[in-house]
Amino acid sequence: MLLRNHKATLVAVLILSAALISCSRSSSTPNTSIPRTADGKPDLSGIWQARNSAAADLEDHVASFDMPAGKGVVQGGPIPYQEWAAKKKIENAKNRRTLDPLENCYLPGVPRIMYMEFPFQIFQTPDHVAITFEWSQVHRTIYTNGAPALEGIDFWMGDSRGRWEGDTLVVDVRDHNDRTWFDKAGNFHGVDLHVVERYTLTDANTITYEATIEDAKTFTRPWTISMPLHRQTDADRIFEYQCQAEKEEANGAFEPDTKTWYQGPSVPVQIPADWKDVQTEWKAPEKKGEIKRLADGKPDLQGYYMSDGGGANYGLGFHEQDFLTPAGRGVISDPPDGVLPMQAWAKTEAASRKLPERGYDDPTAHCFVAGVPRSMYVPSPLQILQPPGYVVILHERMSWRAIPMDGRAHLPDHMRLWQGDSVGKWEGDTLVIETTNLNGKAWLNEVGEIQSHAARVVERLTPINADTIHYEATVLDPLVYTRPWTISFPINRQKDELLEVACHEDNQDLQHLKDIRDEARAKARGSN
Amino acid sequence: MKAYRLAILLAILGWVVVPVAAHHSFSAEYDFNKPLKLKGKVTEMKWANPHAWIYIEVVGKGGKVEKWAWETGGANALYRRGWRKEDLVAGTMLVIDGYQARNGSNTANATSITFENGKRLFAASSSQGGSSGPK
Repeated sequence: MLLRNHKATLVAVLILSAALISCSRSSSTPNTSIPRTADGKPDLSGIWQARNSAAADLEDHVASFDMPAGKGVVQGGPIPYQEWAAKKKIENAKNRRTLDPLENCYLPGVPRIMYMEFPFQIFQTPDHVAITFEWSQVHRTIYTNGAPALEGIDFWMGDSRGRWEGDTLVVDVRDHNDRTWFDKAGNFHGVDLHVVERYTLTDANTITYEATIEDAKTFTRPWTISMPLHRQTDADRIFEYQCQAEKEEANGAFEPDTKTWYQGPSVPVQIPADWKDVQTEWKAPEKKGEIKRLADGKPDLQGYYMSDGGGANYGLGFHEQDFLTPAGRGVISDPPDGVLPMQAWAKTEAASRKLPERGYDDPTAHCFVAGVPRSMYVPSPLQILQPPGYVVILHERMSWRAIPMDGRAHLPDHMRLWQGDSVGKWEGDTLVIETTNLNGKAWLNEVGEIQSHAARVVERLTPINADTIHYEATVLDPLVYTRPWTISFPINRQKDELLEVACHEDNQDLQHLKDIRDEARAKARGSN
Repeated sequence: MKAYRLAILLAILGWVVVPVAAHHSFSAEYDFNKPLKLKGKVTEMKWANPHAWIYIEVVGKGGKVEKWAWETGGANALYRRGWRKEDLVAGTMLVIDGYQARNGSNTANATSITFENGKRLFAASSSQGGSSGPK
């Protein structure tokens, strides 16, 4: 009996001291076992993923088709739905194969994107915590610079504003629409959703992630989910899962192009040895003013920009306006005649792609990502961040490029991606990005100028004053062209923030373009 | 904030010509040989990317009401120009110019929108694009 009492006392003391230690850690003593940024904040940078079944169902659940079983992540019992909402949740669950927005590859919203079965990468600067997701190249920017949330607009992914409370990043996520769910089980919210996320590094490889959900029209009280996010210590990059593109390729809506798509490793394409000379002749553009610099002396390119792509999205060479297709001043700086040096077959193919019935074949008409270099001149803003070790480009048309600056090798040749594999380095004040491993699915623009999987793209971004980047891209594509060619245009800094382009979610153009294609095909069959 | 937005909106309505995005192969989708000018009443504005849509009802011959969908620049471009969802309310009378879709449906691309007081909103497509373009 005495022994048992001793044991109980010992256990009580242990619990008490553990509680005291954890209490003191969270309040005053800084956690010294976690990585920190230069400004002393916990460093959340890295590749992370949840390891649970919250994506299937936030609440306790047994397995069903496409949904592994698991323990709930909702704290303190079931989700406190109002009566009408509890009924709707049950209907959602019954009809989830048709009603779940994710079945249509719609943007998942916050918090759902944080615990899906795909990794994400966090990049941290003093002003932003940016998150790039493998799932469909979605990205979030959590502003930590004190700028207020936008008004009178809503987003699939919400508007995220963060602040540090001790060692915890607290993020207010507002301006949601009412079209996202929390999981596959049909847990949902209304347009009044307000999410407060809390990111706490509990050790070097674990973030405790909490999200408090408020929506007074759907729930009887706020409720909170909590889970660990685990650092993916075996990964040095994330890849792409282009949900809508994969879906349309699988169901035949987006047809392969054997002329340009990567077909496997059987016939490797070599870039002719003498083509390399063209890029080694490059000279840096002249500076027209002082440029911004980071603490390490490298140019500071960070900010919000619009490319002055001169109509390149509608033809890289000079062209007049053609009906609703805008004019272009021509951005080809080499060859000197400003004309793309296409091989004979490519001229025929490019002419075919201009026909109305080929409008459907432009991947951006399907809202797929624009590829490289097209992402840099689509008429849509971009944001550049320079967290340690990377240059990150976030495109308002939902896609991102995370360019490692650590001198790493490209991916193995057979790993092919829409945005390719980009690696960067500084040459003087010029950021040089080399991109390989393209899958050859992207078009250079909507008139169908051609780029194949064989292309190697060398981009050079040189700041020429505080607000202007001189951009050049040399494309070496021996399958399509007779020589390398180069485009150049300015990218201009502006004062603004990125918004969100949810694209296929509300895109009505594609059906019209499909009708035109189907009609042309039916006509062609009839005349045969 | 509201007054500021109103000022911007009035400035736009006064004289600024807002380019409609040429995106998603508008030249492929719409028919140069089917120019169109319709007067009608707004029933709904769909605030969407990559392009917003204005739905109007047009009273045709014999009093028959036709519904038409007009494609415009994207919601982000409109937002950056000071537009808010509540600014183009149901019931507003408009005259819209543009081109009908090739597929012959009651769908068209707006090149300009004129309000009853004569003020004009959108104009023809522009090299700047407008799906989410600059301020």
